[in-house]
Amino acid sequence: MRGIEGAQEVVKIVVTVSLMVALIFVALWIWPEDQAHPLGNLVSTGELKVAGVTLTGQRLLTIGTAIVVAIVLRFILRGTRLGIAMRAVVDDRSLLKLNGGRPDRTSMLSWALGASLAAVSGVLLASEQAPSVIPLTLLVVNAYAAAVVGRLRSIPGAFAGSIVLGLAISYVGAYTPADAAWGPIALDNLQRAVPAIMLFLVILAQPQVRLRAHSLQRARRPMPVPNQRLAAIGGLVLVATVVGIGSLMSGPDQNTLLKGFGFAIATLSLVPLTGYSGQISLAQLTFTGIGAVVMASWGASGDVFWVFVAVAVCSAVGALVALPALRLSGIYLALATAAFAIFCYWMVFQQQDVMPGSTASVPYLKIGPLEVGSDFGQLVVLAVAFAVIANVLVALRRSAWGRRLTAMRDSPVACATLGLNLMSTKVGVFALSAAIAGAGGALAGRTFVVDDFGLDQSLPITMLAVVGGIGSVGGALLGGLLLGVAPIATTALAANAIGVFRVLQRLGHPGDLGHAGLHGDRPRAHPRRCRSRHRGRLPGLLPLREAIAAAIVAAAALWLAARTELIANWGLFAAVVVLAFAVLPVLPAILPPPGENRRGRVGPTAVWLVVLLAVTALIPWENAIGSTGFRLIAILGWTVLGALTTLGILGLDPTGRLNVSGASPDHIGLDSSLGDAEAMVAAAEVGVDEELLSVPTPVALEVLRGGGDR
Amino acid sequence: MSGVTVRFGGHQALTDVSLGVDEGQIVGLIGPNGAGKTTLFNAVCGVVTPSAGSVRIMGRDVSNLNTHRRARLGLGRTFQRLEVFSSLTVSDNVRVGVEIRQTWERRGTTARQFLATDGNLPVDAEVDLILERLGLGGLADVPVGSLPTGQARLVELGRALGARPSVLLLDEPASGLDDPETADFGRLLTDLAGAGLGILLVEHDVGLVMDVCEHICVLDFGSVIASGDPEVVRANEAVVAAYLGAGT
Amino acid sequence: MSAQIPGSRSGAASSSKPLLELRGVTAAYGGIQVLHGVDLEVPEGAVLALLGPNGAGKTTTISVACGLMEPTAGKVYMAGADVTGVGAEELARRGVVTVPEGKGIFPNLTVKENLLMATYAGVDMDHVEAVAYEQFPRLGERRTQVAGTLSGGEQQMLAMARGLAVNPAVLLLDELSMGLAPLVVEELYGIVARIARTGTSILVVEQFARTVLGVADLAAVMVNGRVRAVGRPSEIENELSAAYFGV
Repeated sequence: MRGIEGAQEVVKIVVTVSLMVALIFVALWIWPEDQAHPLGNLVSTGELKVAGVTLTGQRLLTIGTAIVVAIVLRFILRGTRLGIAMRAVVDDRSLLKLNGGRPDRTSMLSWALGASLAAVSGVLLASEQAPSVIPLTLLVVNAYAAAVVGRLRSIPGAFAGSIVLGLAISYVGAYTPADAAWGPIALDNLQRAVPAIMLFLVILAQPQVRLRAHSLQRARRPMPVPNQRLAAIGGLVLVATVVGIGSLMSGPDQNTLLKGFGFAIATLSLVPLTGYSGQISLAQLTFTGIGAVVMASWGASGDVFWVFVAVAVCSAVGALVALPALRLSGIYLALATAAFAIFCYWMVFQQQDVMPGSTASVPYLKIGPLEVGSDFGQLVVLAVAFAVIANVLVALRRSAWGRRLTAMRDSPVACATLGLNLMSTKVGVFALSAAIAGAGGALAGRTFVVDDFGLDQSLPITMLAVVGGIGSVGGALLGGLLLGVAPIATTALAANAIGVFRVLQRLGHPGDLGHAGLHGDRPRAHPRRCRSRHRGRLPGLLPLREAIAAAIVAAAALWLAARTELIANWGLFAAVVVLAFAVLPVLPAILPPPGENRRGRVGPTAVWLVVLLAVTALIPWENAIGSTGFRLIAILGWTVLGALTTLGILGLDPTGRLNVSGASPDHIGLDSSLGDAEAMVAAAEVGVDEELLSVPTPVALEVLRGGGDR
Repeated sequence: MSGVTVRFGGHQALTDVSLGVDEGQIVGLIGPNGAGKTTLFNAVCGVVTPSAGSVRIMGRDVSNLNTHRRARLGLGRTFQRLEVFSSLTVSDNVRVGVEIRQTWERRGTTARQFLATDGNLPVDAEVDLILERLGLGGLADVPVGSLPTGQARLVELGRALGARPSVLLLDEPASGLDDPETADFGRLLTDLAGAGLGILLVEHDVGLVMDVCEHICVLDFGSVIASGDPEVVRANEAVVAAYLGAGT
Repeated sequence: MSAQIPGSRSGAASSSKPLLELRGVTAAYGGIQVLHGVDLEVPEGAVLALLGPNGAGKTTTISVACGLMEPTAGKVYMAGADVTGVGAEELARRGVVTVPEGKGIFPNLTVKENLLMATYAGVDMDHVEAVAYEQFPRLGERRTQVAGTLSGGEQQMLAMARGLAVNPAVLLLDELSMGLAPLVVEELYGIVARIARTGTSILVVEQFARTVLGVADLAAVMVNGRVRAVGRPSEIENELSAAYFGV
């Protein structure tokens, strides 16, 4: 975690969550869920009766350990140089360095200490609670509920918090029998919702965060302003692709893809929320679930009217949740939304009246006389919905409101001094985001089960949206699809999701290699990027009619080949991936733009590309590698290899594709020699004043020179 | 504002500071590092809450209002540590200022905020005008994150002007400008004041402050140690001591 | 320190070899160059005051000298040895004490815990405490108080106590007087003078500072990332007012 120190809060949270998700999947891989792993008590003998209460040896051990750990921890943190240094690191890293301490090593030891304590608690819990990966991981909510009582700083506070929480859970468990109800609301799961409720309440009691008078994030990497025309074309391509591929798919696969698209829309809802305005939410799938439930219970006819009702309900709920939570920011906001997700999972979706039989059947869509009658039809509806929402979001980003959201992310305090009501703007974007997520559920046209809407499902959504390129519509599609079709992708893929997304991200946004911060990447660590700009600059794909025609012909040819069963489905998939990520981006290099001669490269490159595509399509992927997950990874790996080789032949770097002289905001960050993380570390460590952080990037210099104005 | 006192923990950052800015007047606020100038700005804007005292804008007591409400009453400011929207271009920075103003001027509802898109000529014209007046016309499409500080500060000023304030608080606006640019900037401030804008100027460049301000306040250890017109302040012993250290 | 130069500080300035030396140092944050070739020598046992207006590069100079920042070109020597690129923690363990601008303490640790951090430099806690409480009895009264709640002057004393107790070869002080009352500043500079008499070489950065000139053997004026003039305090008065008031 060293690389992310000093990074943005959102990035820190997401990296942590990603790590958690990855570990969950690794754990599931090692210890499959369908096998029981019973654990005996550490201490099986010995009982003690205290005032009529029977204490087993195991529980005595637990209580004893807790007390000993608390005392030892307090001694370490207050009485030893190492422990005091751990606290000193939090105060001021560079000052510790100036004292001769080693902050990196100290931080590492703090992490190790924290992890070991977590392991101890796991061992003690194992006999109390059946060790199951996801519930155990989500105990983190209980942990935070207790720790937030001490404002994440004080050991006695955390200790008191955990005792209150433990007592609350026990009392609620004891006083709510299995058939307990409050009016029509069944309370049988109240006990499990207690930690979430407590977390939410404790967070509400936190004082309002003060507006930061200055942020250190001076050298922020600008977000690309999407191009409306590109988004429209992208939408058309998406719909065409879905029609093409969907018609080749079997029934069950189509149904799975429906879920994938529903979740893709939920991921899309993070684009305005996290991407544009920098807020974080870990409860997006809860809104999707609310949308699905509204549609399933009221709009069983599938009438489009009920879709709008579902969207309105979600947006209202979203605004309600946001109102108290938005006073806070960063980790508290993330925790509050996580608590909301858990609360809804146990107390709302588990109600028999809400999801009868723990399922919700969302009907196919009906618009007036037009009725969708099959999974395939609904799939097309979803693809259209995704394309439309994506285009609306792009338009939004380009509108005054979108600019305001970006401005708010960059500097809330400056917005306030211009007269912007931060609260209403934040609530607005939260409501919009909830509405979009709800639309994903209401339009899914399939049967969901309760477990589709748990926090453990929402976490990867947020993670994938960020890793897939937050603020980018393409990233949302890929993220959501991959998650939704998890049965196809298997756990192996999920465990590798981070890595896969890095690859996709790099290929999908070649200009955006400088997604610095996410993994602590520092732009300067990639010397390749620096030298590429002035060589081999490729024009965009769209102005080249020949390129577009070639792409369409190639896609159509592949589809025909699959339709006539000349190549298998997986061959088609692989070839499409290669076409999209390895062939298309380099087409402009082969087809000479007007007025420029690139002869000499055309022949060999064209041959190489055709060979690449043919080989990819003809490899019998089904048999070549065992599981589908590995198959996907292999295909992606093959694509990367192909793309890099192709670009190598051309003597190009992917970043060269950008036309820098236009100086659109899309391009900065690419060259800003100081990343977020670096700028902040620099600022914090040396007390740099802002003058030094406003780095004139080569782009700007170029503009300044080229523009000739100053 | 009158009698503003701000406390942080055991520290008292400001003690009973009173000063006023009239329409069309430039008031200079100078003092050594750590004297409390930026804290005073934050108290005036509502970013920190004074423990005592009041802030009035055009006679109206705004001490209990939020930052954005004060802004809507005509209070604009820039920041010592730049607070530009670094992912937006120069013109978009100014545009956000203009657009935000339009939303509250029209008492716009959220729905209307949605519809307030560009393509609206007056906004463009106003943005162009501001950029031209600040000499940023040629940099309109340059991302602000890549500008040198001096120009980024001008962008911040332009953005604040987009909100059409009646009082403007400028926190070290000239740091990062070279000598000729500073002279231009001084003329710009005089012009703005000529147009009726009240300006409170915090600046380290004492020369600039002496040139443009009608009235100067010297702050040290959170209280006003001298105030008056430039000549009076220049001759004040306490000021010289505050700047160059006492005991000589 | 081998050479003790009590009293005759002006003599020290001219005769001794430099203990801390920056030669042709350039430094940059990302693309922007802040130091354009800084040459600076702090003679053994001398106090050098580095003065200049906001943004001149004084703090960056300190950052380079204490190892927090690596120069893009040029060399840093301590007692004749090339220490360019040696990390801050390593330099601290070799006897360089740095008091950074306005944040020389850990605000959430108690006074005593703050002092404990000084022991990384290889002195034992008893010695640190003895020296600190003897020099600053006020700190002794507040040893269990959280440092962030001390007054500004007491916080600087705590930061300086470290400088005293470690008995460093080189002491780097950044904006010691910032936001402090004149009396407190004078008291602090009295301590600087006392530390100087033990043979420690001191580099002091100040923005507004006549007080520091009373303590300094040498003064350097820095403007726009370059050292514009070095000399006895009396020799550079003109340069100094030119740098501030742009005369």
